[in-house]
Amino acid sequence: MTTGLVSPKRCADSHGDRHNDGLKLHDLSLATRSGVRGVKASEWLIAQSLHQELKTHELQPPELQPNTLVELPGSRLLMALSTREFWLLEPETEAQASPIPSGHCAPGVWPLYNQNSHAWLVLSGEPRAEMMAKLCGVDLRIEAFPVGTVAQTQMALASVVIAHHLWRDEAVFSLFVDQSLADFAWEALQDAMEEFNSVQ
Amino acid sequence: MTPPRLEHPFGQLIDRDAPVTFEFEGETVQGYEGDNVASALIGQGRWLISRSFKYHRPRGPLSLAGHDANTLIQTPTAANRLAEDLPALEQGAVSGQNYWGSLKTDYYAVLDRLGRFMPVGFYYRAFFKPRGVWRFWEKVIRNAAGLGVANLEVAPRYTDKQYLFCDVAIIGAGPAGLNAALTAAAGGAEVLLIDEQVRLGGALTYHRFTLEDDIRAQTLEALSNAVANHDKIRVLTDATCNAWFSDHYLPVFQGDRLYKVRATTCVLATGSSEQPVVFRNNDLPGVILCSALERLLMHHGVCPGGSAVILAGNDNAYLTAITATEAGLPIAAVVDLRPAPDDPTLIAALNERSIALYPNATVYEAHSDKSGLQLGAVTIHSIKSQGHVDAPILRVECQLLAMSAGYMPAYQLACHGGAKLAYHDDKSEFTLTQLPAGMLIAGSVNSVHNFNAVCADGRNAGRGALRALSLQTDSDETVYCEDKVNHPWPIFKHPKGREFVDFDEDLQIKDIINSARLGYRDIQLVKRYSTVGMGPSQGRHSALTTARLIANATERTVTETGVTTARPPVKPESLGVLAGRRFHPIRKTPMDERHRSLGAHMIPAGSWRRPAFYGEPQNRAACIAAEAQAVRTGVGMIDVSTLGGIELRGPDAAEFMNRVYTYGFLKQPVGKTRYAVLTNEQGVIIDDGVAARLADDHFYVTATTTGAAQVYSEMLRWNAQWRLDLDIAQVTSAFSAINVAGPFSRDVLEQAGCDIDLSAQGFPYLACREGLVAGIPARLMRVGFVGELGFELHVPSLLAQSLWDRLMSAGEPFNIKPFGVEAQRLLRLEKGHIIIGQDTDGMSHPGEIGLTWAINRKKPFFVGRRSVDILMSQPLKRQLVGFTLSPAAPKPEEGHLVLRDGDIVGTVTSCEYSPTLDKIIGLAYVHPADTQPGSQVTIRTAQGVCVQAPIATLPFYDPDTTRQQL
Repeated sequence: MTTGLVSPKRCADSHGDRHNDGLKLHDLSLATRSGVRGVKASEWLIAQSLHQELKTHELQPPELQPNTLVELPGSRLLMALSTREFWLLEPETEAQASPIPSGHCAPGVWPLYNQNSHAWLVLSGEPRAEMMAKLCGVDLRIEAFPVGTVAQTQMALASVVIAHHLWRDEAVFSLFVDQSLADFAWEALQDAMEEFNSVQ
Repeated sequence: MTPPRLEHPFGQLIDRDAPVTFEFEGETVQGYEGDNVASALIGQGRWLISRSFKYHRPRGPLSLAGHDANTLIQTPTAANRLAEDLPALEQGAVSGQNYWGSLKTDYYAVLDRLGRFMPVGFYYRAFFKPRGVWRFWEKVIRNAAGLGVANLEVAPRYTDKQYLFCDVAIIGAGPAGLNAALTAAAGGAEVLLIDEQVRLGGALTYHRFTLEDDIRAQTLEALSNAVANHDKIRVLTDATCNAWFSDHYLPVFQGDRLYKVRATTCVLATGSSEQPVVFRNNDLPGVILCSALERLLMHHGVCPGGSAVILAGNDNAYLTAITATEAGLPIAAVVDLRPAPDDPTLIAALNERSIALYPNATVYEAHSDKSGLQLGAVTIHSIKSQGHVDAPILRVECQLLAMSAGYMPAYQLACHGGAKLAYHDDKSEFTLTQLPAGMLIAGSVNSVHNFNAVCADGRNAGRGALRALSLQTDSDETVYCEDKVNHPWPIFKHPKGREFVDFDEDLQIKDIINSARLGYRDIQLVKRYSTVGMGPSQGRHSALTTARLIANATERTVTETGVTTARPPVKPESLGVLAGRRFHPIRKTPMDERHRSLGAHMIPAGSWRRPAFYGEPQNRAACIAAEAQAVRTGVGMIDVSTLGGIELRGPDAAEFMNRVYTYGFLKQPVGKTRYAVLTNEQGVIIDDGVAARLADDHFYVTATTTGAAQVYSEMLRWNAQWRLDLDIAQVTSAFSAINVAGPFSRDVLEQAGCDIDLSAQGFPYLACREGLVAGIPARLMRVGFVGELGFELHVPSLLAQSLWDRLMSAGEPFNIKPFGVEAQRLLRLEKGHIIIGQDTDGMSHPGEIGLTWAINRKKPFFVGRRSVDILMSQPLKRQLVGFTLSPAAPKPEEGHLVLRDGDIVGTVTSCEYSPTLDKIIGLAYVHPADTQPGSQVTIRTAQGVCVQAPIATLPFYDPDTTRQQL
């Protein structure tokens, strides 16, 4: 804990990631994430270095439809929650304690506090959609929810953003829940995983 | 000794190598794995399983499909379970229910002889005078008509829910459903196939469709294997689809799980319910449906003892007789309600097997054996005209009567979607019409009965589903079915009655007809008056007969008469499964673990858990007093992360603040905080907080713990109208907060390390700053909710626990003490600060609670301004004031009444004993004439004890407000 950052997931009964042959649950709450939003957020992204990276994907931010995400070089992901809200996810980068962003990035573009507002849980494994169907009413099967899509919905009565993406060459669901509900979400997920013979 | 069973191909569901035992009525019953309780009992020659609802008549299985209420039994954990739905393997001790004495000797059975005095609706008419007498009779009647006993000691099972998504949901895995599934899957659709039986196949598993029975087994195997091996078909067996809701939302129950199925389209291949013939004593144990006999033989290998009579209203019953003969069951006679079977070869088939045939005849009466508990014989009469018979032909001794008067489509799911039933006189059957969009039906629910036609109809439904999904498919096959399977009038009234139309409710022919005679002509009224169709079987076996009887009695057609509305659920369902897992999202602050390790007593605060105080509950008062004392004389700190946080950023942020809150915010200096009060459009105070201006275009506003979501929502709603240029962000979870309060709070922060000038001049009361505390980036506000020098530190949530730890360490030299909500409430009460929601209600406006100073009358608008003006121009009806009492006085509680001349004029909203002041202090709404300090108000405390409380000047503590401005 050299950074002083403490993950909001602190379930007393967990001793690390839960896993079995089919499902794994990881806590990435201490990985880096940031974001911007505002009426000019899209234009601002274009002006940033992300511009070139997005071009390599033949995507311009305006083309990044809400509820989608794209991979960027350096194991990063750009997620669009609306036409004016974007999250940059860096699952392989440890977060650092940094000053509270207060001013705007540019007129009409405001930084987000998603590093602290949301816990980041990652669910991997083949039966992840079937397991999530115990907690969430959105069809998360690969046909309906392919890699690169995002759902803003509820999981076990708690609001959640679910992103389907590749991580370490494996398709996973990233689950962003309010940090105050991280323990609840973790326990609800663990309970739902039990029937898939989850073991520690 | 395990009971003998028939050899293969009979008994397909049982494992003859796995005997099982259970207890029924205290006696050991043996069966095999795969048996249900009912089949195991019949396998041992026991037909009596339960007692009827009203007359306590002996009852045994009727359908053996879980579609009737004749086999309701009591298990150790639940009442009203159907014996034919309960696997014998899982049972411990079960018993019949609804009897007084024993199942065999039920003293309540005397009611059967008193039936003439208990016509339908007798209790409506008999027990309403004198007034109140129903309360007495209700208990007697409910006891006599009881339906088992709920075991309240049973620990709830783990139940849960799961969504399932598919392109096509097919309900029913009989020949139609299997063909529909294969066709739809072959066309590329994701198929979910649902069936309530444990095995795929539906009627294919027990019913021979031809005399030779040369296609059933191979067809079943081929279809089942194809379905099982198809990767686009998911199968749910032993699962009941209990309703159809809009957009093909289907609740499917399987064991302890409720599947919430979301389908794009659905196919109902739910089959049909075989109908009983209505004659005297048609409810005796041993009188069953033909399909029930086939299930007994083919599924469980049970060949009932004695001989049997088959009562046929269609050709299918002949096939039942052939199957029974092959199983070795002696058939004493086939009695056909018709002059002859449609297929003349069936007569020859009976002749070959030396089975006597009595055409144009009926069983007019069933007789019990010597025990009075089971069928012993039937009397056969020839039919003279519709519903009337000639003299008896003969009496046949038999222990089993299997009957089939026809079929009623399993219409419930279709009717949930708005489908209608139309009666066809030429076939004497109902058919479904006006199906909702995207719903298809196939097989006998579609009034198609011929085997080949059923299969083709299923394939057509699969094609229809593909079309609904815009997938390619070939053209439909021609479906042709002229089979007549329903007898037009299988109803034979007997002078002595006891011809049961509705087995669940013990309703006879006369009960239905009398309902019409009493003026209840509409079928819905007949249902409500007579209760027909209101039992667990929901009219499966009574709707058709009732429609015919009422149509006849009211001289209308059956179509005009119709059937009663089918509503969910199709079958009884347990509340536990409906509830599923209990999700209670409980929010924790980053310091939650620290609070628990410090021995905090946690209490709910909205969806959060907060420390009430630190220590043992039995020392509550002392703990709170010590915590308060620490804040007053030393330093304390409290986790206030549950406070709502909202960020308003943008050029119009100040304008927005000015419109939303009552105070003026346009000129609020950067680096300053202001108390922010929010009223709704009715002028009622709904929230408050502190607004910190961090920059010209940046406000950080707190809200109450429970009001934050509403405030945020209201802000979004207003700006959807105003279209001001700002961003509104809910940051409650992004920031966590700690309030350090007390004379040494500044010292603690300095000890922790802070790059802000914390002096009274550099950081005065009501100022806000941004900087580093213990190396952690923080927003600091000098606020004084508890009335002492204090600093509220708002930090990124991931760093909050670290800050807590560092402040605790830094505070050690000053004996810092964490304090909880209870001490905070006491301290703020001493200071006279109100809590919105506790000291206000849904009527409180600023004038009533002394917040006129927080209203800016000079600005043109704020939300609720017009209402506030109107309310405050009116004479006050009550006012919130402070009162005190001596420590020895009865302590008022929140909610206790304030009286004036015997009338209620207000309530106590807050009241505590203050160790600092050694007084009881409180806030209460009182009459406006009693608000002057020194006035006395009457408070009615516990047990009606009234106390005279003098009004006090607020605040109770530090009236000059010097301590918080240090």
